[in-house]
Amino acid sequence: MTWTKLWMIAYRGLTRNRRRTFFTMLAVALGLALLITLNGYIAGVMEDGLQNSIRLQTGHVQVRAASYPEGKHSVQWKDLVERPEEVAARAMALPEVRAAAPILWLDAVLSTGDESIGLQVYGIDVASPLHDPLRASVIAGAFLDANDRSGVLMGGRLAQSLNLKVGDTVHLVTINANGEPVEAPFVIRGLFSSGVLVYDESVLFMPLARAQSFALTGNRASTVMIELHHREDAGKVAAGLAQPGLQALTWRDLNAFIIQSMDAAFSFYILMDAIVIMIVAVIIANTLLMAVFERVREIGILAALGMKRREILQMVLYEAALIALAGVVVGVALGLLGVFFLTQNGFVLGEMATTAGNLPMSNVIYARFAPDLFTWLAVWTFLIALLASLYPAWFAARLEPVRALHTE
Amino acid sequence: MPIIELSDIYKTYRIGEVETRALDGVSLDFEPGEFSAVVGPSGSGKTTLLQIMGCLDKPDRGVVKLDGRDVTRLNADQRAELRRNVIGFIFQFFALIPVLDAYENVELPLLLAGVGARERRERTLEMLEAVGLSDRIHHRPNQLSGGQQQRVAIARALVKRPLVVLADEPTANLDTANGEQAMEIMQRLNEQTGTAFIFATHDPRVMKFARRTIHLVDGRVAENSAPPQVEAAAGGLFHPREHRG
Repeated sequence: MTWTKLWMIAYRGLTRNRRRTFFTMLAVALGLALLITLNGYIAGVMEDGLQNSIRLQTGHVQVRAASYPEGKHSVQWKDLVERPEEVAARAMALPEVRAAAPILWLDAVLSTGDESIGLQVYGIDVASPLHDPLRASVIAGAFLDANDRSGVLMGGRLAQSLNLKVGDTVHLVTINANGEPVEAPFVIRGLFSSGVLVYDESVLFMPLARAQSFALTGNRASTVMIELHHREDAGKVAAGLAQPGLQALTWRDLNAFIIQSMDAAFSFYILMDAIVIMIVAVIIANTLLMAVFERVREIGILAALGMKRREILQMVLYEAALIALAGVVVGVALGLLGVFFLTQNGFVLGEMATTAGNLPMSNVIYARFAPDLFTWLAVWTFLIALLASLYPAWFAARLEPVRALHTE
Repeated sequence: MPIIELSDIYKTYRIGEVETRALDGVSLDFEPGEFSAVVGPSGSGKTTLLQIMGCLDKPDRGVVKLDGRDVTRLNADQRAELRRNVIGFIFQFFALIPVLDAYENVELPLLLAGVGARERRERTLEMLEAVGLSDRIHHRPNQLSGGQQQRVAIARALVKRPLVVLADEPTANLDTANGEQAMEIMQRLNEQTGTAFIFATHDPRVMKFARRTIHLVDGRVAENSAPPQVEAAAGGLFHPREHRG
């Protein structure tokens, strides 16, 4: 029997109870649309956290002293990169590199007279394009000047919480390279808002030269941070910059925790996706089983006319395929609309963004189109729907023509 | 050679603890081109006999030969293959597919048999014309009267040019006029095509048309009028043996 005619009979079978077929298709469509929208949003959350971490904390590649300790900041000379500007210049010579600059990290305590708070100080090369996003995020006062010996740039949110404003003086205490506490007054030159609340509350910027003199590190830096045109080139660039006494780390190494968290979260969402797909599968199986029960006699007629078991099986599977295909098409369309809406209208996390621990989340999160993920969801929804129809199809194919013909 | 040979056929149905013997050692032969009626009261085994001859069911014991071939040992797909190519069915309740129109219902056996599109169309339209339904080809069963539905069923049974058409109470759900008309059409097609017709019935209107009558009582052949000498069909629509698969 020609396939096209089997398809036609399957299609006609679906039209006999249009309302039931429509609602089954709708269940598939809504289930898939929900999955696509949710996964698009989760992909947006994860990518936002990773992008923020790369943009604000790690860059794509970092060159550090081989002995630089993991998980804490050290200003001991042995742990710092000597002549970091030479490393930055070598990096800038690579075509994959967009910007490279040394950074010195200090752990410090900021004191206003009324309050004290622990934070991180970033000594930065203020002229480097690496810090263009920071320059663009200044919301009050001015960006830093390389020759400024007393100016700092503070997160607007931190300033607000400490009741500080541009022009106010704060005192910073840090442990210098000799292991001695040092203290100095600094003036707030400007305020920034990175869009990542946790970052705006805990980071202070000052010119690299001032940070080096404050902590007595000489011309040394904690790291040379490198930004690439394409993050996929990180491995190649890191390999090109490796040399004895230095370690070159990629964004994957530097964000291992975030990537692990993302993988764990995705595992959880895969479980959730599987549950939704299973519910859809049960609905399809139920509909088809009802459709088969309804026409036991008709299947008996087809068998009496000489339709083989394989062909009856195919016919019911085609019915499932048609419902699933229509559901998947509508579901993908609705899901993409949902994702599009969430790419235009982000979800405001507000204070919740500060509770994300090591994941530097923006306070407004937008969904993201993830074609691979959406295709995966659509294909699995379709396949599981077909799988769910195997039992009704098998049931129909196993019907004995004589008994089926005498069913009312 | 007989087209159907039944040798010592037994069939028992078990419903719960109760066993019912439907056929109790039936032996019969049917010749090509027959127009015969298997008659008897309800429960006499008529329908069971037709189902076994039509490869819809298997006997518990005995041999069924269809066109000289023992069909009792065939598997489900092989029996489906025979039903597809050699046997036509007409049922009491018409048994049309409700979602297909008259044309598609008649076309269905040809689709199952893998007949090409052009020939399929020609034969379908020819059969619908032969049963007088050329003007109803795109009507679905629920848009047709009982008589028209049974005529579609007759066309569907004959379109594949079978060796034999097995009709189970074909007039039971028709009024007198439609019952007569259905029988006249089948008689005419039997004469034109040479296809054998075997009816299970207790309707005197059907018996009146039959050239041979087999009486079944309690699953046994109580009376069997001699098989008639059937003349070869004189042309017309087709000869069944020319087109068997």
